[in-house]
Amino acid sequence: MQHIFRVAEITRALKDVVEGQFPFVWVKGQVSNLARPASGHVYFSLKDEEALLNVVWFKGSQRGVALGEAERYDPLTGEVLEGDGGSGWLADGMEVLCAGRLTVYAPRGAYQLVAEYVQDMGLGKLALEFEALKRKLQEAGYFAQERKRPLPHNPVRVAVVTAATGAAIQDFLRVGSARGTGCEIRIHPVLVQGEAAPGQIGAALDAAGSDGWAQVTVLIRGGGSLEDLWAFNTEPVAHAVYRSPIPVLCGVGHEVDVTIADLVADVRAATPSHAAQVLWPERAVLAQRADELETALTRAFGRRLQAAGDRLGTLEKALAWLSPRGRVERMGEKLDDLSMRLLRAGAGLPLRRGEALDGLERRLWAFGAPRLAGFEGRLESLRQRLAAVGQRSLERADSRLTLLEAHLRGLDPELPLERGYSLVRRADGSFLRSTADAHPGDALEIRVRDGSVAARVTGVHRREP
Amino acid sequence: MSVDKNSFENNIERLQRIVEQLESGEPALEKGVDLYKEGMALAAACRKQLDKARLTVNKVTPEGVVPFTPGDGEEN
Repeated sequence: MQHIFRVAEITRALKDVVEGQFPFVWVKGQVSNLARPASGHVYFSLKDEEALLNVVWFKGSQRGVALGEAERYDPLTGEVLEGDGGSGWLADGMEVLCAGRLTVYAPRGAYQLVAEYVQDMGLGKLALEFEALKRKLQEAGYFAQERKRPLPHNPVRVAVVTAATGAAIQDFLRVGSARGTGCEIRIHPVLVQGEAAPGQIGAALDAAGSDGWAQVTVLIRGGGSLEDLWAFNTEPVAHAVYRSPIPVLCGVGHEVDVTIADLVADVRAATPSHAAQVLWPERAVLAQRADELETALTRAFGRRLQAAGDRLGTLEKALAWLSPRGRVERMGEKLDDLSMRLLRAGAGLPLRRGEALDGLERRLWAFGAPRLAGFEGRLESLRQRLAAVGQRSLERADSRLTLLEAHLRGLDPELPLERGYSLVRRADGSFLRSTADAHPGDALEIRVRDGSVAARVTGVHRREP
Repeated sequence: MSVDKNSFENNIERLQRIVEQLESGEPALEKGVDLYKEGMALAAACRKQLDKARLTVNKVTPEGVVPFTPGDGEEN
Protein backbone atom coordinates (compact mmCIF):
# COMPACT_ATOMS: atom_id res chain seq x y z
CA MET A 1 0.00 0.00 0.00
CA GLN A 2 1.57 3.17 -1.20
CA HIS A 3 1.45 6.15 1.15
CA ILE A 4 -0.82 8.81 -0.23
CA PHE A 5 0.68 12.28 0.42
CA ARG A 6 -1.29 15.35 0.96
CA VAL A 7 0.03 18.27 -1.13
CA ALA A 8 1.39 20.09 1.85
CA GLU A 9 2.99 16.92 3.06
CA ILE A 10 4.83 16.12 -0.15
CA THR A 11 5.80 19.74 -0.56
CA ARG A 12 7.22 19.82 2.93
CA ALA A 13 9.12 16.60 2.24
CA LEU A 14 10.49 18.04 -0.96
CA LYS A 15 11.43 21.23 0.86
CA ASP A 16 13.35 19.19 3.42
CA VAL A 17 15.21 17.33 0.68
CA VAL A 18 16.01 20.41 -1.37
CA GLU A 19 17.03 22.66 1.52
CA GLY A 20 18.91 19.84 3.23
CA GLN A 21 20.77 18.84 0.10
CA PHE A 22 21.59 22.36 -1.15
CA PRO A 23 22.05 24.61 1.88
CA PHE A 24 24.27 27.01 -0.08
CA VAL A 25 25.00 26.99 -3.79
CA TRP A 26 26.71 29.10 -6.40
CA VAL A 27 24.82 29.38 -9.69
CA LYS A 28 25.77 31.33 -12.77
CA GLY A 29 23.51 32.29 -15.60
CA GLN A 30 21.91 35.05 -17.59
CA VAL A 31 19.42 37.41 -15.99
CA SER A 32 15.90 37.53 -17.43
CA ASN A 33 12.41 38.51 -16.29
CA LEU A 34 13.92 41.08 -13.96
CA ALA A 35 11.25 42.63 -11.74
CA ARG A 36 11.67 45.33 -9.11
CA PRO A 37 8.51 45.81 -7.06
CA ALA A 38 8.23 48.70 -4.62
CA SER A 39 9.19 46.40 -1.74
CA GLY A 40 12.82 46.73 -2.82
CA HIS A 41 13.19 42.98 -3.25
CA VAL A 42 14.40 41.92 -6.70
CA TYR A 43 12.95 38.98 -8.61
CA PHE A 44 14.52 37.51 -11.73
CA SER A 45 15.27 34.26 -13.52
CA LEU A 46 18.65 32.77 -14.20
CA LYS A 47 18.72 30.90 -17.42
CA ASP A 48 21.08 29.16 -19.79
CA GLU A 49 20.47 27.28 -23.00
CA GLU A 50 18.56 24.51 -21.30
CA ALA A 51 17.01 25.62 -18.05
CA LEU A 52 15.64 28.38 -15.91
CA LEU A 53 15.88 29.04 -12.17
CA ASN A 54 13.79 31.60 -10.32
CA VAL A 55 15.74 33.85 -8.02
CA VAL A 56 14.58 36.18 -5.28
CA TRP A 57 17.09 38.70 -3.95
CA PHE A 58 15.73 40.22 -0.79
CA LYS A 59 16.44 43.82 -0.06
CA GLY A 60 18.34 42.95 3.12
CA SER A 61 20.86 40.94 1.11
CA GLN A 62 21.52 43.53 -1.55
CA ARG A 63 24.87 44.70 -0.31
CA GLY A 64 28.40 43.53 0.06
CA VAL A 65 30.21 42.57 -3.08
CA ALA A 66 28.11 44.49 -5.56
CA LEU A 67 31.32 46.04 -6.84
CA GLY A 68 29.61 47.68 -9.78
CA GLU A 69 28.09 50.02 -7.23
CA ALA A 70 29.91 52.61 -5.24
CA GLU A 71 30.75 51.14 -1.92
CA ARG A 72 30.71 53.68 0.82
CA TYR A 73 33.49 54.18 3.30
CA ASP A 74 34.35 56.46 6.13
CA PRO A 75 37.02 58.77 4.66
CA LEU A 76 38.65 59.21 8.08
CA THR A 77 38.96 55.59 9.14
CA GLY A 78 38.79 53.92 5.77
CA GLU A 79 36.20 51.59 7.20
CA VAL A 80 33.79 50.28 4.61
CA LEU A 81 30.27 51.04 5.70
CA GLU A 82 27.90 48.12 5.58
CA GLY A 83 24.73 49.31 3.97
CA ASP A 84 22.55 49.10 0.98
CA GLY A 85 24.96 48.43 -1.85
CA GLY A 86 21.98 48.45 -4.11
CA SER A 87 20.90 46.27 -6.97
CA GLY A 88 20.49 49.04 -9.49
CA TRP A 89 23.31 47.73 -11.64
CA LEU A 90 21.46 44.50 -12.33
CA ALA A 91 19.88 44.26 -15.79
CA ASP A 92 18.27 41.68 -18.05
CA GLY A 93 20.77 39.87 -20.21
CA MET A 94 23.62 40.25 -17.74
CA GLU A 95 25.76 37.25 -16.92
CA VAL A 96 25.79 36.99 -13.16
CA LEU A 97 26.95 34.71 -10.43
CA CYS A 98 24.49 34.10 -7.62
CA ALA A 99 25.10 32.56 -4.25
CA GLY A 100 22.36 31.51 -1.85
CA ARG A 101 19.99 28.85 -0.59
CA LEU A 102 17.67 26.72 -2.65
CA THR A 103 14.20 26.74 -1.17
CA VAL A 104 10.72 25.54 -2.00
CA TYR A 105 7.95 28.09 -2.05
CA ALA A 106 4.97 25.99 -1.02
CA PRO A 107 2.05 28.31 -1.97
CA ARG A 108 3.06 28.15 -5.60
CA GLY A 109 4.70 24.78 -5.70
CA ALA A 110 7.85 26.32 -6.98
CA TYR A 111 11.45 26.08 -5.99
CA GLN A 112 13.71 29.10 -6.12
CA LEU A 113 17.09 30.44 -5.19
CA VAL A 114 17.13 32.92 -2.33
CA ALA A 115 20.21 34.89 -3.31
CA GLU A 116 22.64 36.19 -0.68
CA TYR A 117 25.11 37.55 -3.24
CA VAL A 118 24.69 38.53 -6.83
CA GLN A 119 27.78 39.50 -8.81
CA ASP A 120 28.55 40.64 -12.26
CA MET A 121 30.48 37.76 -13.82
CA GLY A 122 32.86 40.22 -15.42
CA LEU A 123 34.12 41.14 -11.99
CA GLY A 124 33.20 37.93 -10.41
CA LYS A 125 36.52 36.17 -10.20
CA LEU A 126 38.50 39.04 -8.77
CA ALA A 127 35.62 39.98 -6.54
CA LEU A 128 35.47 36.50 -5.16
CA GLU A 129 39.15 36.50 -4.48
CA PHE A 130 38.80 39.90 -2.87
CA GLU A 131 35.97 38.70 -0.70
CA ALA A 132 37.78 35.52 0.21
CA LEU A 133 40.92 37.36 1.24
CA LYS A 134 38.93 40.04 2.99
CA ARG A 135 37.06 37.46 5.02
CA LYS A 136 40.23 35.57 5.83
CA LEU A 137 42.07 38.69 6.99
CA GLN A 138 39.01 39.92 8.83
CA GLU A 139 38.92 36.68 10.78
CA ALA A 140 42.65 36.97 11.43
CA GLY A 141 41.99 40.40 12.98
CA TYR A 142 43.85 42.38 10.30
CA PHE A 143 41.15 45.07 10.14
CA ALA A 144 40.51 45.30 13.88
CA GLN A 145 39.91 48.88 14.99
CA GLU A 146 41.83 48.38 18.21
CA ARG A 147 45.08 47.69 16.38
CA LYS A 148 44.87 50.86 14.32
CA ARG A 149 47.63 53.24 15.37
CA PRO A 150 47.26 57.01 15.18
CA LEU A 151 49.50 58.81 12.70
CA PRO A 152 52.27 60.94 14.17
CA HIS A 153 51.18 64.57 14.29
CA ASN A 154 52.89 66.71 11.66
CA PRO A 155 55.61 64.13 10.88
CA VAL A 156 59.03 65.29 9.69
CA ARG A 157 60.38 61.96 8.39
CA VAL A 158 58.09 60.13 6.01
CA ALA A 159 58.69 57.04 3.88
CA VAL A 160 56.62 56.78 0.73
CA VAL A 161 56.15 53.48 -1.08
CA THR A 162 54.91 54.16 -4.59
CA ALA A 163 55.90 54.37 -8.24
CA ALA A 164 58.63 56.96 -8.79
CA THR A 165 56.76 58.27 -11.80
CA GLY A 166 53.13 58.94 -12.26
CA ALA A 167 50.39 61.07 -10.84
CA ALA A 168 50.33 59.62 -7.34
CA ILE A 169 53.72 60.88 -6.14
CA GLN A 170 53.25 64.18 -7.99
CA ASP A 171 49.87 64.80 -6.36
CA PHE A 172 51.20 63.79 -2.99
CA LEU A 173 54.23 66.11 -3.19
CA ARG A 174 52.24 69.00 -4.64
CA VAL A 175 49.67 68.95 -1.86
CA GLY A 176 52.31 68.21 0.77
CA SER A 177 54.49 71.17 -0.23
CA ALA A 178 51.92 73.61 1.20
CA ARG A 179 51.56 71.75 4.43
CA GLY A 180 53.49 70.90 7.57
CA THR A 181 56.58 72.62 8.95
CA GLY A 182 59.18 71.06 6.71
CA CYS A 183 59.58 67.35 6.17
CA GLU A 184 62.03 64.93 4.65
CA ILE A 185 60.50 62.34 2.38
CA ARG A 186 62.17 59.12 1.28
CA ILE A 187 60.55 57.52 -1.69
CA HIS A 188 60.84 53.75 -2.00
CA PRO A 189 60.21 53.24 -5.71
CA VAL A 190 58.22 50.12 -6.57
CA LEU A 191 56.19 48.69 -9.37
CA VAL A 192 52.57 49.21 -8.46
CA GLN A 193 51.05 46.78 -10.94
CA GLY A 194 51.98 43.54 -12.61
CA GLU A 195 53.30 40.24 -11.40
CA ALA A 196 56.25 41.67 -9.50
CA ALA A 197 54.32 44.46 -7.81
CA PRO A 198 53.07 42.65 -4.66
CA GLY A 199 56.55 41.37 -3.79
CA GLN A 200 58.19 44.77 -4.38
CA ILE A 201 55.57 46.63 -2.42
CA GLY A 202 55.86 44.18 0.47
CA ALA A 203 59.66 44.42 0.50
CA ALA A 204 59.58 48.21 0.33
CA LEU A 205 57.11 48.39 3.21
CA ASP A 206 59.39 46.16 5.25
CA ALA A 207 62.43 48.27 4.39
CA ALA A 208 60.67 51.54 5.18
CA GLY A 209 59.47 50.26 8.52
CA SER A 210 62.60 48.49 9.65
CA ASP A 211 65.38 51.05 9.13
CA GLY A 212 64.16 53.09 12.10
CA TRP A 213 64.25 56.34 10.19
CA ALA A 214 60.68 57.08 9.20
CA GLN A 215 57.87 58.01 11.56
CA VAL A 216 55.20 56.78 9.16
CA THR A 217 54.97 54.91 5.87
CA VAL A 218 52.71 56.20 3.14
CA LEU A 219 51.50 53.68 0.55
CA ILE A 220 49.96 55.39 -2.47
CA ARG A 221 48.95 54.67 -6.01
CA GLY A 222 46.92 56.58 -8.57
CA GLY A 223 43.55 55.49 -9.84
CA GLY A 224 43.03 52.59 -12.22
CA SER A 225 40.84 49.66 -12.99
CA LEU A 226 40.23 46.92 -10.48
CA GLU A 227 42.89 44.87 -12.24
CA ASP A 228 45.33 47.80 -12.13
CA LEU A 229 44.88 48.11 -8.39
CA TRP A 230 45.07 44.40 -7.85
CA ALA A 231 48.51 44.35 -6.25
CA PHE A 232 46.99 46.16 -3.28
CA ASN A 233 44.51 43.32 -2.83
CA THR A 234 47.16 40.64 -2.45
CA GLU A 235 48.36 38.83 0.61
CA PRO A 236 52.05 39.85 0.46
CA VAL A 237 51.02 43.51 0.60
CA ALA A 238 48.39 42.90 3.28
CA HIS A 239 50.91 41.04 5.46
CA ALA A 240 53.58 43.71 4.98
CA VAL A 241 51.15 46.45 5.98
CA TYR A 242 50.02 44.37 8.92
CA ARG A 243 53.51 43.79 10.29
CA SER A 244 54.81 47.32 9.73
CA PRO A 245 56.37 48.53 12.99
CA ILE A 246 55.35 52.10 12.17
CA PRO A 247 51.88 53.38 11.22
CA VAL A 248 50.89 52.95 7.57
CA LEU A 249 48.79 55.50 5.73
CA CYS A 250 47.26 54.05 2.59
CA GLY A 251 45.78 56.05 -0.28
CA VAL A 252 45.14 53.94 -3.33
CA GLY A 253 43.12 54.84 -6.41
CA HIS A 254 40.10 57.08 -6.41
CA GLU A 255 37.63 57.73 -3.65
CA VAL A 256 35.52 54.73 -4.59
CA ASP A 257 38.36 52.23 -4.59
CA VAL A 258 38.84 50.30 -1.40
CA THR A 259 41.63 47.79 -1.41
CA ILE A 260 42.71 45.19 1.12
CA ALA A 261 45.75 47.35 1.81
CA ASP A 262 43.39 50.24 2.64
CA LEU A 263 41.55 48.04 5.10
CA VAL A 264 44.69 46.78 6.83
CA ALA A 265 46.38 50.18 6.96
CA ASP A 266 46.24 52.15 10.18
CA VAL A 267 44.64 55.04 8.37
CA ARG A 268 43.00 55.13 4.98
CA ALA A 269 43.13 58.16 2.74
CA ALA A 270 40.82 58.34 -0.24
CA THR A 271 43.52 59.38 -2.73
CA PRO A 272 47.25 60.20 -2.77
CA SER A 273 46.41 63.94 -2.46
CA HIS A 274 44.17 63.17 0.46
CA ALA A 275 47.02 61.22 2.05
CA ALA A 276 49.11 64.41 2.10
CA GLN A 277 46.19 66.28 3.60
CA VAL A 278 45.74 63.65 6.29
CA LEU A 279 49.44 63.60 7.07
CA TRP A 280 50.26 67.27 7.60
CA PRO A 281 48.29 70.23 8.86
CA GLU A 282 47.88 73.08 6.41
CA ARG A 283 50.70 75.58 6.78
CA ALA A 284 48.30 78.50 6.68
CA VAL A 285 46.47 76.99 9.65
CA LEU A 286 49.73 76.61 11.54
CA ALA A 287 50.60 80.21 10.74
CA GLN A 288 47.20 81.30 11.95
CA ARG A 289 47.71 79.39 15.17
CA ALA A 290 51.05 81.13 15.71
CA ASP A 291 49.46 84.50 14.93
CA GLU A 292 46.58 83.85 17.29
CA LEU A 293 48.93 82.89 20.08
CA GLU A 294 51.02 85.99 19.46
CA THR A 295 47.92 88.17 19.59
CA ALA A 296 46.80 86.45 22.78
CA LEU A 297 50.28 86.95 24.21
CA THR A 298 50.30 90.67 23.43
CA ARG A 299 46.81 91.08 24.81
CA ALA A 300 47.59 89.18 28.00
CA PHE A 301 50.79 91.14 28.51
CA GLY A 302 48.97 94.38 27.77
CA ARG A 303 46.39 93.57 30.41
CA ARG A 304 49.17 92.68 32.83
CA LEU A 305 50.86 96.06 32.17
CA GLN A 306 47.54 97.87 32.37
CA ALA A 307 46.82 96.28 35.75
CA ALA A 308 50.27 97.27 37.02
CA GLY A 309 49.80 100.80 35.62
CA ASP A 310 46.40 101.15 37.21
CA ARG A 311 47.78 100.09 40.56
CA LEU A 312 50.63 102.55 40.25
CA GLY A 313 48.16 105.31 39.35
CA THR A 314 45.99 104.50 42.35
CA LEU A 315 48.97 104.57 44.67
CA GLU A 316 50.19 107.83 43.19
CA LYS A 317 46.82 109.45 43.73
CA ALA A 318 46.66 108.12 47.26
CA LEU A 319 50.13 109.48 47.93
CA ALA A 320 49.26 112.89 46.53
CA TRP A 321 46.07 112.95 48.57
CA LEU A 322 47.90 112.07 51.74
CA SER A 323 50.78 114.53 51.23
CA PRO A 324 50.84 117.54 53.64
CA ARG A 325 51.16 119.93 50.77
CA GLY A 326 48.01 118.61 49.14
CA ARG A 327 46.14 118.89 52.39
CA VAL A 328 47.22 122.46 52.94
CA GLU A 329 46.22 123.37 49.38
CA ARG A 330 42.84 121.72 49.68
CA MET A 331 42.20 123.35 53.03
CA GLY A 332 43.28 126.70 51.68
CA GLU A 333 40.86 126.38 48.79
CA LYS A 334 38.03 125.40 51.10
CA LEU A 335 38.83 128.24 53.38
CA ASP A 336 38.83 130.75 50.54
CA ASP A 337 35.59 129.38 49.26
CA LEU A 338 33.92 129.48 52.63
CA SER A 339 35.20 132.96 53.36
CA MET A 340 33.88 134.27 50.04
CA ARG A 341 30.50 132.73 50.62
CA LEU A 342 30.39 134.00 54.15
CA LEU A 343 31.16 137.53 52.95
CA ARG A 344 28.58 137.39 50.17
CA ALA A 345 25.98 136.02 52.51
CA GLY A 346 26.83 138.65 55.12
CA ALA A 347 26.66 141.53 52.65
CA GLY A 348 23.13 140.63 51.69
CA LEU A 349 21.93 140.10 55.23
CA PRO A 350 20.35 143.49 56.04
CA LEU A 351 18.24 143.37 52.87
CA ARG A 352 16.77 139.96 53.53
CA ARG A 353 13.60 139.15 55.32
CA GLY A 354 13.83 136.98 58.40
CA GLU A 355 12.55 133.84 56.69
CA ALA A 356 14.94 134.01 53.79
CA LEU A 357 17.67 134.83 56.21
CA ASP A 358 16.89 131.77 58.28
CA GLY A 359 16.92 129.57 55.19
CA LEU A 360 20.16 131.03 54.05
CA GLU A 361 21.60 130.66 57.46
CA ARG A 362 20.57 127.04 57.58
CA ARG A 363 22.04 126.40 54.17
CA LEU A 364 25.12 128.25 55.08
CA TRP A 365 25.53 126.22 58.21
CA ALA A 366 24.57 123.03 56.48
CA PHE A 367 27.29 123.65 53.99
CA GLY A 368 29.82 125.37 56.14
CA ALA A 369 29.45 123.89 59.58
CA PRO A 370 30.70 120.41 58.90
CA ARG A 371 33.46 121.70 56.75
CA LEU A 372 34.28 124.52 59.09
CA ALA A 373 34.42 122.13 61.98
CA GLY A 374 37.00 120.12 60.12
CA PHE A 375 39.17 123.09 59.45
CA GLU A 376 39.10 124.78 62.83
CA GLY A 377 42.54 123.66 63.65
CA ARG A 378 43.89 124.84 60.33
CA LEU A 379 42.02 128.12 60.66
CA GLU A 380 43.45 128.62 64.10
CA SER A 381 46.93 128.04 62.75
CA LEU A 382 46.37 130.45 59.93
CA ARG A 383 44.91 132.93 62.34
CA GLN A 384 47.99 132.68 64.45
CA ARG A 385 50.19 133.09 61.41
CA LEU A 386 48.13 136.04 60.35
CA ALA A 387 48.39 137.55 63.84
CA ALA A 388 52.11 137.02 63.83
CA VAL A 389 52.41 138.61 60.45
CA GLY A 390 50.16 141.48 61.59
CA GLN A 391 52.19 141.96 64.70
CA ARG A 392 55.38 142.23 62.75
CA SER A 393 53.76 144.61 60.29
CA LEU A 394 52.50 146.80 63.12
CA GLU A 395 55.89 146.93 64.70
CA ARG A 396 57.50 147.89 61.46
CA ALA A 397 54.84 150.55 60.88
CA ASP A 398 55.33 151.86 64.40
CA SER A 399 59.01 152.46 64.09
CA ARG A 400 58.50 154.01 60.71
CA LEU A 401 55.85 156.26 62.17
CA THR A 402 58.22 157.38 64.91
CA LEU A 403 60.78 158.23 62.29
CA LEU A 404 58.28 160.11 60.24
CA GLU A 405 57.08 161.97 63.33
CA ALA A 406 60.59 163.11 64.06
CA HIS A 407 61.02 164.16 60.51
CA LEU A 408 57.69 165.90 60.52
CA ARG A 409 58.42 167.55 63.77
CA GLY A 410 61.51 169.08 62.16
CA LEU A 411 59.26 170.63 59.58
CA ASP A 412 56.96 172.29 62.16
CA PRO A 413 57.07 176.10 61.59
CA GLU A 414 56.16 176.73 65.22
CA LEU A 415 59.19 174.90 66.49
CA PRO A 416 61.84 177.64 65.73
CA LEU A 417 59.68 180.12 67.67
CA GLU A 418 60.44 178.14 70.81
CA ARG A 419 64.07 178.62 70.14
CA GLY A 420 63.68 182.46 69.85
CA TYR A 421 63.05 182.86 66.13
CA SER A 422 60.04 184.81 64.93
CA LEU A 423 57.76 184.52 61.92
CA VAL A 424 56.79 187.64 59.92
CA ARG A 425 53.65 187.82 57.79
CA ARG A 426 52.34 190.53 55.60
CA ALA A 427 48.87 192.03 55.73
CA ASP A 428 47.64 189.44 53.16
CA GLY A 429 48.86 186.59 55.40
CA SER A 430 51.80 185.53 53.26
CA PHE A 431 55.17 185.04 54.89
CA LEU A 432 57.72 187.77 54.40
CA ARG A 433 60.59 185.99 52.61
CA SER A 434 62.46 188.82 50.82
CA THR A 435 63.31 192.54 51.05
CA ALA A 436 61.46 192.84 47.78
CA ASP A 437 58.20 192.01 49.58
CA ALA A 438 58.62 194.83 52.12
CA HIS A 439 57.90 198.45 51.47
CA PRO A 440 58.15 201.25 54.02
CA GLY A 441 54.79 201.77 55.70
CA ASP A 442 53.58 198.14 55.12
CA ALA A 443 51.81 196.61 58.13
CA LEU A 444 53.42 193.36 59.36
CA GLU A 445 52.49 190.73 61.95
CA ILE A 446 55.42 189.23 63.85
CA ARG A 447 54.70 185.87 65.48
CA VAL A 448 56.80 184.92 68.49
CA ARG A 449 56.68 182.06 70.95
CA ASP A 450 53.93 183.37 73.12
CA GLY A 451 51.90 185.56 70.74
CA SER A 452 52.21 188.17 68.03
CA VAL A 453 53.38 191.75 67.65
CA ALA A 454 51.87 194.29 65.18
CA ALA A 455 54.62 196.30 63.39
CA ARG A 456 55.20 198.65 60.45
CA VAL A 457 58.08 198.75 57.92
CA THR A 458 60.27 201.81 58.46
CA GLY A 459 63.03 201.04 56.05
CA VAL A 460 64.36 198.35 53.72
CA HIS A 461 68.03 197.41 53.44
CA ARG A 462 68.83 195.07 50.67
CA ARG A 463 72.00 193.09 51.09
CA GLU A 464 74.10 193.36 48.03
CA PRO A 465 74.52 190.00 46.32
CA MET B 1 69.33 67.42 6.54
CA SER B 2 67.81 66.17 9.75
CA VAL B 3 64.97 68.34 10.85
CA ASP B 4 64.86 69.49 14.46
CA LYS B 5 62.23 67.11 15.69
CA ASN B 6 58.91 68.84 16.19
CA SER B 7 60.56 72.08 17.21
CA PHE B 8 57.64 73.97 15.72
CA GLU B 9 55.25 71.96 17.84
CA ASN B 10 57.41 72.46 20.92
CA ASN B 11 57.59 76.18 20.31
CA ILE B 12 53.86 76.45 19.82
CA GLU B 13 53.23 74.45 22.98
CA ARG B 14 55.62 76.60 25.02
CA LEU B 15 54.01 79.72 23.59
CA GLN B 16 50.60 78.39 24.55
CA ARG B 17 51.76 77.82 28.12
CA ILE B 18 53.23 81.34 28.32
CA VAL B 19 49.97 82.88 27.15
CA GLU B 20 48.06 80.86 29.74
CA GLN B 21 50.47 81.96 32.46
CA LEU B 22 50.15 85.62 31.52
CA GLU B 23 46.39 85.33 31.24
CA SER B 24 46.20 83.85 34.71
CA GLY B 25 47.79 87.15 35.86
CA GLU B 26 49.98 85.26 38.25
CA PRO B 27 53.56 86.14 37.44
CA ALA B 28 55.14 89.22 38.91
CA LEU B 29 55.65 92.03 36.44
CA GLU B 30 59.36 91.42 35.92
CA LYS B 31 58.68 87.73 35.32
CA GLY B 32 55.82 88.77 33.03
CA VAL B 33 58.15 90.91 30.95
CA ASP B 34 60.54 87.98 30.61
CA LEU B 35 57.70 85.68 29.58
CA TYR B 36 56.45 88.23 27.06
CA LYS B 37 59.89 88.54 25.50
CA GLU B 38 60.26 84.78 25.33
CA GLY B 39 56.78 84.43 23.84
CA MET B 40 57.43 87.03 21.14
CA ALA B 41 60.68 85.29 20.26
CA LEU B 42 58.86 81.95 20.04
CA ALA B 43 56.17 83.41 17.78
CA ALA B 44 58.85 84.89 15.52
CA ALA B 45 60.68 81.55 15.46
CA CYS B 46 57.47 79.73 14.54
CA ARG B 47 56.77 82.13 11.71
CA LYS B 48 60.32 81.79 10.45
CA GLN B 49 60.04 78.03 10.56
CA LEU B 50 56.87 78.16 8.51
CA ASP B 51 58.46 80.51 5.99
CA LYS B 52 61.40 78.16 5.59
CA ALA B 53 59.35 74.97 5.64
CA ARG B 54 60.07 72.81 2.60
CA LEU B 55 59.71 69.22 1.59
CA THR B 56 63.06 67.53 1.10
CA VAL B 57 62.46 64.65 -1.26
CA ASN B 58 64.93 61.77 -1.60
CA LYS B 59 64.78 58.38 -3.20
CA VAL B 60 65.91 55.12 -1.66
CA THR B 61 67.98 53.15 -4.19
CA PRO B 62 70.24 50.13 -3.88
CA GLU B 63 73.13 52.64 -3.98
CA GLY B 64 71.69 54.59 -1.07
CA VAL B 65 69.52 57.64 -0.49
CA VAL B 66 69.77 60.09 -3.40
CA PRO B 67 67.89 63.30 -4.19
CA PHE B 68 64.64 62.66 -5.98
CA THR B 69 63.85 64.48 -9.18
CA PRO B 70 60.28 64.09 -10.34
CA GLY B 71 60.10 62.13 -13.59
CA ASP B 72 63.54 60.56 -13.34
CA GLY B 73 62.31 57.14 -12.40
CA GLU B 74 62.43 54.26 -14.79
CA GLU B 75 59.58 52.41 -13.13
CA ASN B 76 55.98 52.65 -14.06
